[in-house]
Amino acid sequence: MSEMKVLTADQQPETGAALKRALEMTAADVVFEVRESGMRGRGGAGFPVGIKWNLAGAASGTDKMVICNADEGEPGTFKDRLLIEKYAKQLLEGMTIAGYAIGSSRGIIYLRAEYTYLIPAITEARRELIDRKLMGSYILGGSFNFDVEVRPGAGAYVCGEETSLIESLEGKRGEPRNKPPFPVNSGYLCRPTIVNNVETFVNVPHIILNGSDWYRELGIGDTTGTKLFSVSGDVERSGVYEMQMGSTIGELLELAGAKDVQAVQVGGASGATIAADELDRRLSFEDLPPGGSVIVFNRSRNMMNVLENFLEFFVHESCGQCTPCREGNVRLLDTARAIRDGRITSREELKDFFMLAEIMKLGSKCGLGQTSPNCFVDIVTKFVELPGGKGGM
Amino acid sequence: MSRKPVEIVASAVENHGSGREAVMEMLTDVNRELGYIPEEAIRAIAAAVGVSNAEIYSVLSFYSFFSTEPRGRNIVRLCKTISCEMNGSRDILAALESELGIKAGETTPDRRVTLETTSCIGLCDEGPAMLVNDTPHTRLTPEEARRIVAGLE
Repeated sequence: MSEMKVLTADQQPETGAALKRALEMTAADVVFEVRESGMRGRGGAGFPVGIKWNLAGAASGTDKMVICNADEGEPGTFKDRLLIEKYAKQLLEGMTIAGYAIGSSRGIIYLRAEYTYLIPAITEARRELIDRKLMGSYILGGSFNFDVEVRPGAGAYVCGEETSLIESLEGKRGEPRNKPPFPVNSGYLCRPTIVNNVETFVNVPHIILNGSDWYRELGIGDTTGTKLFSVSGDVERSGVYEMQMGSTIGELLELAGAKDVQAVQVGGASGATIAADELDRRLSFEDLPPGGSVIVFNRSRNMMNVLENFLEFFVHESCGQCTPCREGNVRLLDTARAIRDGRITSREELKDFFMLAEIMKLGSKCGLGQTSPNCFVDIVTKFVELPGGKGGM
Repeated sequence: MSRKPVEIVASAVENHGSGREAVMEMLTDVNRELGYIPEEAIRAIAAAVGVSNAEIYSVLSFYSFFSTEPRGRNIVRLCKTISCEMNGSRDILAALESELGIKAGETTPDRRVTLETTSCIGLCDEGPAMLVNDTPHTRLTPEEARRIVAGLE
């Protein structure tokens, strides 16, 4: 394996060092550095972070907001839990640097209700940073103020979608908004708002301290930096692994100790299902989108049970706002059960459901309905034997 | 003696303000203290924020952690997502159901425990896992799961 630089462990920055460096720079230079790093959002959608910050910084409006998406709910993902447990100070420092960069003095961590037990870790980190003048009023003796509060979710996967998250913070049902306007112009309470994932903010101090050139050297092509992967399922060592972007899925599985692999779910239930002959594919935005969740299935697993589990999840978690997602997931679940029980026996009978999957991808407003058919298409195409070949069209 | 719903809402307003954006925290406070959100609390929140009762109901019914029905003093949420399922969550569910004498979604007659299954709770590396109120329990065995719920007050 090629050399692996571990951002969040081996090169743990001294608390406050990156913030000091950032405050010596202009806000525009901080944004520039993050933009030049090429970092894309670590929450799954992969939007370039610097571009988001640039837009929010340039947006007209006061009371700009820095929001941390800690609503990690993708099945198989637990990296943000670990980051909050172990690196809460670095998370808050990243948010503070973001606040300086876009001209905001207020941050919110939207924490999923399932992680309520992590609140003390955040509260203690905040208290320490305020005592050390690294957060709060007159940070490092200057004129910049920034503070963060934790606000609770209440058990809704869709609130990981940034506009749903904002709706929830505003005390509403967590239903995705129509875009535009984008949150960078009109987000929380119509204020210019950036929403970034926990891991994204944790990366920021490294970029400020070491520079964008250093960050760009990590990774592959336009997919820069490293990425945390939560690995679970049929492996000897489940846990969080940090890899350079562009590593192959096989390299990751070797670290985690996977044997007799039948399939790997990359990016959680909404991601891609790959077969054992695809393990040389690369974790990058150009190949296999590097979502934080990697679930391994060995040959003893019935992939139709896996599909049923995923679709039950989407049926439960669809917010119900768009018809393709609300009804489509129910139909795909019915179909998956019909295949498993032998009620669908030919590829011809599946045609309409592959079309339905396409309609869901095209016709759903947010990422949930746009990605939930992936598991159906992938698993049925790659793993179901029907007369005339596997299930795919 | 627990506080009345209107008292909980009043102190939530004191802590979080009466803006619309404080609704999630108000609901969370009531839900945490009473185990559910009674109609009286819905009316009090609606009055504090200045929206209709229906509006507050529509919000709370969206979120799976909120309930409008009385629940047990303890809420057990067992993860049913795939990694925990592969690690044996079905056996854990069977053990919990038999220990408590109820099915998932039900509350024991003495209101001691409500048993629920839930979507991924982010403990996939240590499954099967469940939350008891806010506390995670990991690498469960059926015996361990029985022991945990038997010990709940």
